[in-house]
Amino acid sequence: MTQAVAEAQTQSESTGRPEQQNCSGRPVVLSTHALTKQFGTLLAVDALDMQVCRGDVFGFLGPNGAGKTTVIRLVLGLIHPTSGHAEVCGHRVPGQLQGALRHVAGFVDDPTFYPLMSARRNLRLLGSMSGPVSEERIDEVLEIAGLRERSESRVGGFSHGMKQRLGIAQALLHSPELIVLDEPTSGLDPRGMKDVRELIRELGASGTTVFLSSHLLHEVEQVCTRAVILNRGRIVVQGPVSELRPQNDAVKVLTDDQSRAAATLRAQFGAAGVIEDDGFLVVQAGEETVPEMVRRLVADGLAVRAVVPAPEQGLEDFFLELTGADDAKPATESRRRGIARVLGRRR
Amino acid sequence: MSAVPADAPASSSSGAHGSTAPGMRGHAWGPLRREWIKLLFQRRSYLIWAGMLAIPFLVSLALKLAGSGPHENGGGGGPAFLDRVLGNGMYVPLASLSALLPFLLPMAASMVAGYMVAGEAELGTLRIILLRPVKRGSMLLSKWVVAMLYLAVGFLLVLVGGVVFGGLFFGLHPMVTLSGTTLSVVHGLGLTGLVFLYGLAAMSCMVSLALLFSVLTDSSLTALIGAVIFYIVVQIVIAFSYFAWLRPWVFPNYFLEYVSFFRDPIYWTPILKGLASFGAWSFGLTLVAYLLFRRKDVLS
Repeated sequence: MTQAVAEAQTQSESTGRPEQQNCSGRPVVLSTHALTKQFGTLLAVDALDMQVCRGDVFGFLGPNGAGKTTVIRLVLGLIHPTSGHAEVCGHRVPGQLQGALRHVAGFVDDPTFYPLMSARRNLRLLGSMSGPVSEERIDEVLEIAGLRERSESRVGGFSHGMKQRLGIAQALLHSPELIVLDEPTSGLDPRGMKDVRELIRELGASGTTVFLSSHLLHEVEQVCTRAVILNRGRIVVQGPVSELRPQNDAVKVLTDDQSRAAATLRAQFGAAGVIEDDGFLVVQAGEETVPEMVRRLVADGLAVRAVVPAPEQGLEDFFLELTGADDAKPATESRRRGIARVLGRRR
Repeated sequence: MSAVPADAPASSSSGAHGSTAPGMRGHAWGPLRREWIKLLFQRRSYLIWAGMLAIPFLVSLALKLAGSGPHENGGGGGPAFLDRVLGNGMYVPLASLSALLPFLLPMAASMVAGYMVAGEAELGTLRIILLRPVKRGSMLLSKWVVAMLYLAVGFLLVLVGGVVFGGLFFGLHPMVTLSGTTLSVVHGLGLTGLVFLYGLAAMSCMVSLALLFSVLTDSSLTALIGAVIFYIVVQIVIAFSYFAWLRPWVFPNYFLEYVSFFRDPIYWTPILKGLASFGAWSFGLTLVAYLLFRRKDVLS
């Protein structure tokens, strides 16, 4: 964990709430103030305070069920808060919802459209709800979304990815100040994902504020400038994306004799720094130590077959670490024992 | 995806330049047009209209084929006006209406209005349209008006279809009122038009009722069933003499009061009572629907 993350956690622990981010003189486009939503006994969003500054490509990260979509629904006035409020471009939500919605566009969950209408007619219909929209602008956003050639096709025949693209197109229709995208790459193929991420980056570069909800850490890392991580309705970490990701210095080593290699490496990095994993030796060491490591292995007469970066820590593990969810470990252990029992019976 | 045009973001007015999309001009009519277009892009809309248009044709055909039977007043035991149809096509629109009004029209009204909110929730488009700066109240009102407009077109189809098929099968002749006097064809058509307007007013209650159920649920089928069940239960309850005291207060009680138009002179008291009941119920139900929709959490 980086120092910034650790600091954010310390602040969170000391104040009970993550500290407000600083917009450094830039206008605040979106903010929430002790925003809370309770569904029956379930506290979905717990006194959420955050700020999105103009020009941010803001990552809103969290595992499934963290409350991301609920927050978006609250901010866009689709649901009413139990307490607290949001402010969008200076308009309080709820209360001044119509004013807020003039400055924001996007989609929540999967974007959905009228299936018997063409893409163009859908855009015409939805766009007209926010004011006049020209055919030229419809052509433009269809072009941006890569749907120009399918503009007259019925949306009912569109794939999930095409609907996602159309969702982005309708969000761009009136060039809003703030674009809210709820997992826009979900269901897209790798090419589609790349295109959408590039588009988000371009939007950010051109000054539009983008609020990107995602559960993919690497996606947020690729396109966002700042981010918060939400868990169980609370912000657990916030800050610049560059400081958000856990550092991973481990490398995986494969030689012709792993036992001897393990002894050599443990002499260099200590017993705790070298573990065996699926035939590889995982060494907790930075890239700068790799040449020396290889030199020693070769000097010991070992043939080095591969030295590769170890897989980065997954978001799920990162969350477990951040939220201190140690209670998940016994469950995992118990599950492992269960699987072992089943396999044992089969044998 | 291609690059974002330089003017795309940041400018709040770029979308307003150039030729405005056809059919969407005008703020006042915009919400109504949008709802109307949405309705026209549903197959069931045409199915219901086709069904409504088929009724006067089927009524005319059936009566023509049964033309050799007795057709004295009250002799056939069918719905009001049905027996008078034989020999005069002027009665076909009224016979069709009397066949539709007890069940099929309330069903059609519930189907259209029940879909208005719940259907959009079901489809997922409700959350998309609510992200646009349109007040929920005006959206709901537009849906109510368009549902009524849709039914008005349906009524018009029954009326015109009744006159056309009635004229073709039986010819159009002066009408005999319930009081025994005779009305010219033009006078008769005028009164028939008023009867249809009365029927439309009656259906406004069903539209409001179904709209209320539509706000309460995210399933258009549940909204339809809810409204129809409510209507049927009320009909059954007021059929019992024990609940006779309830009759003046419930709108289905006045559905068939349109026959008072065909007394000479017109017997206005039950008609006005009926219209007052329809107005009160429509307003009350729509108001409750609005209050609920205003605070509804859209989770679909």
